[in-house]
Amino acid sequence: MTRTLLQVKGLSKRFKEREVIKGISFTIAEGSCAALLGPNGAGKTTTISMLAGLLQPSGGSIELQANGGPAADRRPYIGYLPQMPVFYPWMTGTEFLLYAGELAGLTSREAKRETGEWLEAVGLRDAGKRRIGGYSGGMKQRLGLAQALIHRPKLLILDEPVSALDPAGRKDVLTLLERIRRETTVLFSTHVLHDAEEICDEILMIREGEIALQGNLDQVRRTYSEPVIRVMVGGDEASRSWLNAACSKDFVIHSEVSGSRAKLTVADVDQAMHALMADAVSHHVLLRSLEAGQSTLEDLFLKVVQS
Amino acid sequence: MRQFRLFFRKEMLEMGRSYKWLWVPLVFLMLGIMQPVVTKFMPEILKSAGNLPKGMTIAIEPPSGAEVLAQTLGQYNSVGLLILVLSIMTLISGERQSGVSQMIFTRPVSYVSYAAAKWASMLSLVTISFALGYAGAWYYTVQMIGSVDAGAAVKAGLFYLLWLWFAGSLTLLMSSLLNPAAGIAFVSLGAALLLSMASGWLPRYMTYSPGSLPQISAKWLQSSGEAKVAAGAAILCLACIVIFFMGTVHQVKLRKSKLNTQI
Repeated sequence: MTRTLLQVKGLSKRFKEREVIKGISFTIAEGSCAALLGPNGAGKTTTISMLAGLLQPSGGSIELQANGGPAADRRPYIGYLPQMPVFYPWMTGTEFLLYAGELAGLTSREAKRETGEWLEAVGLRDAGKRRIGGYSGGMKQRLGLAQALIHRPKLLILDEPVSALDPAGRKDVLTLLERIRRETTVLFSTHVLHDAEEICDEILMIREGEIALQGNLDQVRRTYSEPVIRVMVGGDEASRSWLNAACSKDFVIHSEVSGSRAKLTVADVDQAMHALMADAVSHHVLLRSLEAGQSTLEDLFLKVVQS
Repeated sequence: MRQFRLFFRKEMLEMGRSYKWLWVPLVFLMLGIMQPVVTKFMPEILKSAGNLPKGMTIAIEPPSGAEVLAQTLGQYNSVGLLILVLSIMTLISGERQSGVSQMIFTRPVSYVSYAAAKWASMLSLVTISFALGYAGAWYYTVQMIGSVDAGAAVKAGLFYLLWLWFAGSLTLLMSSLLNPAAGIAFVSLGAALLLSMASGWLPRYMTYSPGSLPQISAKWLQSSGEAKVAAGAAILCLACIVIFFMGTVHQVKLRKSKLNTQI
């Protein structure tokens, strides 16, 4: 289960003078689902293109384990879906899958069988006979998944698979991914943290070409999550000024106020809750809500990105 | 070999569905037929223009069949070349720009097969279009003007075809090098026309240049061709085509997707 599938060491890429990726190293275990997170321009697409073999790295190594040793050519073992998949608009969905399958080395008989199966799996059985030019964004994304999986790759690499989709299309793709990840190792990049939390077990955060944070999702959550109190008060002037005053109390480590809401990072939740409640009562403040919880992945992401 | 077949089949299908197999041969055929027809009816055309001074007579010496056929080749050197370049200029750059190439080149494909399939489909389009147009021109010339020596016509046609192959290979190389379609067309057409004109200006230095092939074929039509010059130019042209092809393969490998263009 924990065998390493992909090992990346000191990977770097420079475009002319600008170093976009500054020597990143990570491993991906077989059977895991890893998310590559980072703000726009952090180098996600560059990293993914290098892994997929579209870009030549300036330095470092990428090693994919196949058949008990590092593969000389990793392309047969990789399925790749670019950020905005583009197809030949004059081809039909079926024709493109057949073409993609045969290019990946399937015999024409295998390609035919797999095409049928994958069209069914991504819900394009009826649309398969139509020209791709008339497909919607969601259908193209699903066809893209099918073409990436048709040769049963060991590693599926997806670049922002859901970012450009509407909620319905996004749910379709995520459901599919959920199913696929049981059979294949998946690496995908995204800036939508919610998706990462939903289906991933490993995360890699990159910022300005460097790894800012990596590890198992649960572990990251345990290590980095902080106790947080979310307060909401009434709209009157007294309550608001109390809220602002509460932010500067000595048990508050960090605070964010927006209007009548505040998010307070504290050291000890119980003690802070007691103090806040007593204070609110004594000042006759209209408390709308008071909630104790943990910081989310999104908070962590923002912290990493802004630090 | 299997991948070459796959790529080639795809190119043929694409050329069929985008109607290239229809309009390119048709334009070549039209260009071919027009020359003998217009030559034949030139006196009538001039007469019906009507605004000639009274008493003026036009005496046009009827040209020989070989001359008309040579003029047809001249037509191909301007409009034909333009059509040829326009129809194949985005063969490689188009896939790179749109992004389809990303899905092709992350598969274990051979760059040689990819480029060879593009090249073979270009050659077949050019060859069939030109053969059709030239055959049409020949037929109408024989019918309306006069007979043409068959051996000379075939030889001239082959030399001219070689020139078109050269222009096509050059366009493919440019397509693998540059991104904007207008740039590809401009550079390929410009280089081809320049080469062709240079052989007229500097005949001494350009004797064996591929650009002299159009003139060589015109000379062969009038049976005044020199075998040594023709063979030299043909060999040099073939060598250029091979070099262009190797350059194309190299560029395809280097620029797999538009991400690489930032290099």
